[in-house]
Amino acid sequence: MTQSNEPAIVIRGMNKYYEAFHALRDIDLTVEQGERIVICGPSGSGKSTLIRCINRLEEHQSGDIVVLGTSLDDNVANIDGVRREVGMVFQHFNLFPHMTVLENCALAPMLVRKWSRARAEEMAMQYLEKVQIPEQAEKFPGQLSGGQQQRVAIARALSMQPKVLLFDEPTSALDPEMISEVLDVMVSLAKEGMTMLCVTHEMGFARQVADRVIFMDRGEIIEQNAPEEFFGNPQNERTQKFLSQILGH
Amino acid sequence: MAITAQIEREGLLAVIRRRYFSSLSNAILSIVSFALLAYIFWTVFDWAILSAVFSDAGGPEACQQTDGACWAVIDSRWRLILFGLYPHEEHWRSGLACIVVVLMTVLSCIPRFWSGKAISIIWIGGFATFYFLMKGGIFGMPLVDEQQWGGLSLTVFIFVSTALVGMPLSIVFALLRRSELPWISRLTGLIIDSVRSLPLLTILFTFAVVLPFVLPDWASGDKLYRVILGSALFFAAYQAEIIRGGMQAVPKGQEEAAKALGIRYGARIRRILLPQAFKSALPATINQFVITFKETSLVIIIGFFEILASGNAAYGRGEWTFAYVEVYTFIALIYFAFVFSLSRYGAYLERRMDIGDR
Repeated sequence: MTQSNEPAIVIRGMNKYYEAFHALRDIDLTVEQGERIVICGPSGSGKSTLIRCINRLEEHQSGDIVVLGTSLDDNVANIDGVRREVGMVFQHFNLFPHMTVLENCALAPMLVRKWSRARAEEMAMQYLEKVQIPEQAEKFPGQLSGGQQQRVAIARALSMQPKVLLFDEPTSALDPEMISEVLDVMVSLAKEGMTMLCVTHEMGFARQVADRVIFMDRGEIIEQNAPEEFFGNPQNERTQKFLSQILGH
Repeated sequence: MAITAQIEREGLLAVIRRRYFSSLSNAILSIVSFALLAYIFWTVFDWAILSAVFSDAGGPEACQQTDGACWAVIDSRWRLILFGLYPHEEHWRSGLACIVVVLMTVLSCIPRFWSGKAISIIWIGGFATFYFLMKGGIFGMPLVDEQQWGGLSLTVFIFVSTALVGMPLSIVFALLRRSELPWISRLTGLIIDSVRSLPLLTILFTFAVVLPFVLPDWASGDKLYRVILGSALFFAAYQAEIIRGGMQAVPKGQEEAAKALGIRYGARIRRILLPQAFKSALPATINQFVITFKETSLVIIIGFFEILASGNAAYGRGEWTFAYVEVYTFIALIYFAFVFSLSRYGAYLERRMDIGDR
């Protein structure tokens, strides 16, 4: 699908509207393979909408989005192709409550990749070990803590062996003491070279692993830079204000 | 249970005293209620068992000499009640066919058989066996026309086929209703609302009597199947709304997660949306099944001899006219057995589905 040096994601002049509301304005963004990007900004700034456009959970109205060499348009085969290769982790986990942890992870590889149950479950177990909860495989999501559920959600996304992972505020719904167990998993993924786009307010995580931090406000990308520059020397007034608000206390 | 623990701790008498005789007014209330219950129980017991006539040997006259129940009418007319107008020598076929349909239903209620292959084998096999047993014309079994089918096996057959045709139809309706194309969802909504605004009787009547004038002969089939189709449509209109309610209870994130994993529409519906929708729609669904079972009696109007109609006939002619209470009690017990099992099965399913819930 992609050449080795081709960018993972290319977004050019993209606009998104909800009825009359202009949610995303002229977005231009290129993400290289293996690049780790953190997107931050005040609520309602369009960060979640942006990453949800990348796997077409939201439809954009103009401009181009090319993911792993496939252009996202009305062609259903293209959308399916992109979703196969792009995993997503949600704020509220969205695990399937009527299936066990193992079934949650094995379902999509069986349905989409057409793997046998044995193979899908074997791979799923590997990823559950990676997020350090193989012993919960036979439990139902409702029996787990929030942090455990989010780790299962990461394992479920990994079970499809995606080339890109999208994180939509993965720690925002967690109790404070559970945030670090999820961040640890994300850090180890980042270190293995996974292409990642994370919408998050965890600035420590951004400092530690991000190659680039993007600041969005009112549907626009205001500023983007490497973490040291971004945090140490923010250029735009709005970025400065935002950073002082979330880092100030 | 709390009460058994209490009894162990304090002794039976102490518990009774505290619960039912704690004050003078409470004591009076308890004694009066108990006396009333005992009186009702004794009256029914005396009527149904002690003073009752069970055997047909004495004929209707034996019944008239006692105040008890006249079960002799059942002894004498049970074949008419259970088999309707079905030819007398062939009753075993109708009985067997009824057992086959009940067995088929019970089997398809067991989670072990919930795979596409097993269910289709059970249903196709079950219906084929029922049809050939009832209709005959092969293996030396004389041909029996649908018009002569009747009694319990007809009731059960109409109910089960209504459910089997109506259920998939209701799912299709519910899915079309939430279609993103406005003209499809509106048209489906219009169909559902129209069917719901009509009385079931009118629909049955239309399908049985009016439809043959509209359809060509080869397409109209026997009246029985048209009636089943009509009642399935009615069932589907109500059930579709129940399922839609269940679907609305499934969080939006569930479908989004499935989409993000690359799971396609059909599998999303089958594996993610419907199982969760049915869970919250289950109580209402069982309710709809119960209503549908009892509404099968409306086919009398089209001239079918289901169990209520054949019950009417059992006491309606000549010497047993006084024994209608016994006949209706007998039929009520049969209804009760079916509907009560259905409710218990619903309760079992709810418990089973609860496992996944925290």
